[in-house]
Amino acid sequence: MEKFLNKFLRFPKITMLVLLIISIAFFIVMKKNSKMETDLDKYMPQDHPAFVYSDEAEEIFNIQDGIIIAIENQDGIYQTETLQKVKDLTKQLGKMKEIEKSDVTSLYTADNIIGTEDGMDVKAFFKNVPTTDEGLQEIAEKVRANEMIFRRLVSENETVTVIIAEIGDDVFSQEFYHQILELVHSFEGPEKLYVAGVPIVEGSMAYLGPKDMKKMVPIVMLVIILVLLLVMKSVKNTIITMLVVAFSVVWAFGLMAAVNIPIYAVSTMLPVMLIAIGVADGIHLYSHLDLFLRKNPKATRKEAVSDMLKGMWKPVVMTSVTTSVGFISLLTSEIFPIKYFGLFTAFGVMAAMLFSLILIPSAILVFGFPKRKQKAISESKITKNPFSYKFAEGVIKYKTITLFLTITIVAVSIFGITKVWINSSFLDKFEKDSDIVLTDKFINENFGGTSNLNVIFEGKENDTMKSPQTLRLIDKLQNDVESRLDVVGNSFSLADYMRRMNKVMHADKEEFDTIPDSQELNAQYLLLYEMSGDPENLWKVVDYNFKTANMTIQLKSDNSKAINNAIAVVEEYKKDFEKLGVSVNYAGSGYKGLIFTDLILEGQIKSLIMSLFIIIILLAFMFKNFWAGLIGSVPIVITAVIGFGVMGLLNIPLSTTTALISSIAIGIGIDYAVHFIERYKIYAKETGDKQKTMQGTMHHSGRAIIFNATVVIAGFMVLLFSVFPPNRSLGALVSLNMFTSFLGTVTIMYLLLYKTNLFFKKK
Amino acid sequence: MKKIIIILLALLVAGTVLSAQEITGLNIIENVYNRPTGNDQTADLTMSLVNSRGDERVRVINQFLKDFGELEKKIMFFVSPADVYNTSFMNWSYDEVGKDDDQWIYLPALKRVKRISSDSKSDYFMGSDFTYDDLGDRHPSADAHKLLREEEIDGEMCYVVESNPKEEEYMYSKTITWIMKDNWIGKKKEFYDEDDELLKTLTVKESVTLKDVIVITLSEMHNVQSDHKTIMKLENVQVNTGVADNKFTERMMKRGM
Repeated sequence: MEKFLNKFLRFPKITMLVLLIISIAFFIVMKKNSKMETDLDKYMPQDHPAFVYSDEAEEIFNIQDGIIIAIENQDGIYQTETLQKVKDLTKQLGKMKEIEKSDVTSLYTADNIIGTEDGMDVKAFFKNVPTTDEGLQEIAEKVRANEMIFRRLVSENETVTVIIAEIGDDVFSQEFYHQILELVHSFEGPEKLYVAGVPIVEGSMAYLGPKDMKKMVPIVMLVIILVLLLVMKSVKNTIITMLVVAFSVVWAFGLMAAVNIPIYAVSTMLPVMLIAIGVADGIHLYSHLDLFLRKNPKATRKEAVSDMLKGMWKPVVMTSVTTSVGFISLLTSEIFPIKYFGLFTAFGVMAAMLFSLILIPSAILVFGFPKRKQKAISESKITKNPFSYKFAEGVIKYKTITLFLTITIVAVSIFGITKVWINSSFLDKFEKDSDIVLTDKFINENFGGTSNLNVIFEGKENDTMKSPQTLRLIDKLQNDVESRLDVVGNSFSLADYMRRMNKVMHADKEEFDTIPDSQELNAQYLLLYEMSGDPENLWKVVDYNFKTANMTIQLKSDNSKAINNAIAVVEEYKKDFEKLGVSVNYAGSGYKGLIFTDLILEGQIKSLIMSLFIIIILLAFMFKNFWAGLIGSVPIVITAVIGFGVMGLLNIPLSTTTALISSIAIGIGIDYAVHFIERYKIYAKETGDKQKTMQGTMHHSGRAIIFNATVVIAGFMVLLFSVFPPNRSLGALVSLNMFTSFLGTVTIMYLLLYKTNLFFKKK
Repeated sequence: MKKIIIILLALLVAGTVLSAQEITGLNIIENVYNRPTGNDQTADLTMSLVNSRGDERVRVINQFLKDFGELEKKIMFFVSPADVYNTSFMNWSYDEVGKDDDQWIYLPALKRVKRISSDSKSDYFMGSDFTYDDLGDRHPSADAHKLLREEEIDGEMCYVVESNPKEEEYMYSKTITWIMKDNWIGKKKEFYDEDDELLKTLTVKESVTLKDVIVITLSEMHNVQSDHKTIMKLENVQVNTGVADNKFTERMMKRGM
């Protein structure tokens, strides 16, 4: 390896030029070919049974997420102007190319099933907006009398009404969002208008996260540069180290663009990872060079570089390989964007390794040593007993305390882990006082809920859904789930149609607000309904052959706990439905989000365990000692445990972003351990003296590790000022992970190395 | 003989001159409207509804209709599906402009006849793609007609007539009808929605001539926007058999088939 590297270093200028040209080429490809993928559906594994089922149900019942537009008039909505706005906005929404005309629901489009003197009729509430008080009052009366509409489209206090525009999964774009907002705002005054709903939340998030990242990453870089300058005390070293990071990011994104893989939201974490990992090699290399030059101030460039590579190529390669393994283990995930993320981050890490081993020595050969103030060197020479020595001794001296503290912290963390919960909510990712959260709250206060869970009942044969037993059970379930859970605002199914029709066919008598007694009567009512109006709305609750039905549960929160609670109630009824030959399943975007998050976590845990095993084996091979492998993995295990534990204790839910952070824990934590053990091994061989080995290692590796940790922690702390809460959690957790990795390495792992007499046994 | 030939020739020339110069969209639609339809008709109607996913629902109906001059009465009995067997439906349609149809339904499970008030002819008929208006005969004077061209479809020479409604807020912005020259039967009709986009296409596929009355026996209405289709097939058609006047009463609805 050294020979291989030396070949490059014979012509350092040419080597640097070649790297630069390749980087520029990648940069051009990246500029030209990169595209963002914001459609969340593209993230879902398309062949997962839950998704296949949900997608099928969504197609049958035209289940789509709805944009909810609320129109509020403090004086009540039954005013000519307000209703005219409802009509006009409904019509204009239907004309947008992203929205199907029939997917817009409002008081203007809603069907009013009413009993007439001698029959039933399905009518619109109004066609032309009445201008007289009587006309307006008539509409108000009609709405109040229709439990299928009242509190669903018009709020109980009659000051708010909603228009729901359902859209397909793939039509939401930033441009479309702005068009909607513009259109809605043109209707403002004196009425107040609000826009909410899952597509808005999802869309804003897919847009806000990366946008915030774009703004924050340069600041992170800047802070890292400043701290690098501080610890390295050299502009040259800082520039080269940052170039290593920048090139590796360009290569990773360049390759992604070259093989035509779009940038997913998770991919925006890639530069974050590479910054955290990429600076490490530079810090360790320059730190080594620095120490070498202190001892040998007269050394030539060639001598210094040769010593640096001799001493450092191994740990640099080892750390890069182990880190890459950590990321490659993400290939076990079922989610493609995460697979790609793992793969390309691993590639970026390897690229960073290449640059560290070629670019850094080349730069030293070409541009010379970093300028150092003579004072600094002489000063350090005076320090016979540096802090690192004292620290090393201290850890050994107070080993019981170290051990006790470690065990306590791990124990508390394990307790914390038991409290970790998963949240697939999108809304929880926004600030509590952001417009999007407040609007959602407002609509939830006045209506059934902004999030839906769809429950799909499937019979074995046609017309199962006309059976009174099945309909009654659905009706019972609806009542139960509505009364037991506060978070459930409303529910809607074919049972509501049947009850309504039975009631109006019996002169609006309350006692007939029930499911009819015979299948024939249900069938005949349904036929009557089809004759009386446009049956289009019926196909949202039941399929064409009445074999499968769709019940919508409206939730006031998209929080995973809310969905899980609703599912728990439905599950209680599963057995009863099975007795009727009806299977119960779920569908809709909220449910898919839940499954999706579970999948991510499951994959994350799988990949964590797998990478841990591979890393132990790799380390064991690298150090030719099994114990070294085990001891080396201690800091990362502690880091992961503390990371998850803190999340549990601080009530930070696991989500797609926070779960991925454990990959950094492994990727970076292991670097510290590898550098440390490698140095320990070298000194053990050189000196054969435990005391000297321990001091030397702490002085050499310990120093570089603390530099590294400081740089990255400082950089990521910047994210705490992000406006996007998930990015804040990311910053906090990465910083925490870096800190525990560092601390674990220089305390408990060091103690274990010391106590096991590793690398000294032969003597 | 010679005289007759000359007269015939003269008539023929006059006829072609007349038709070439004078026939208007309105003439054509009037001819269609005034085509003999017989006094009464009985038939077995099979109505197949097909949605965009290809799911199909089939309804078999036994139907009777009779012309009472200013009034057309129709009664239908469901044969299948089984759970709506003997459900009956009666419709009285008036020629008088602006007068709504009277409609009744009898639900055997409820054992009661109920009125359904249809305030709009734009309602769809039994979940099909036909509105009540599509099924009935729209008076020629309700629209402004324009002969667009003549063209051949499926080997039949047709007039192509565009009709624009005179009333505002009509469900269609226009319709375009292909009418066969030799028998004044529509071959195809396109319906355009309020936004002037093609909504539905009606295709007439088969017809029979019984006692000089042409009856369309197979037609398909395709809603191109929702991709929903309705196929209407008439079998065992009989014309002018003298269906009794009292066939069209609530009592008959209750009695069933």
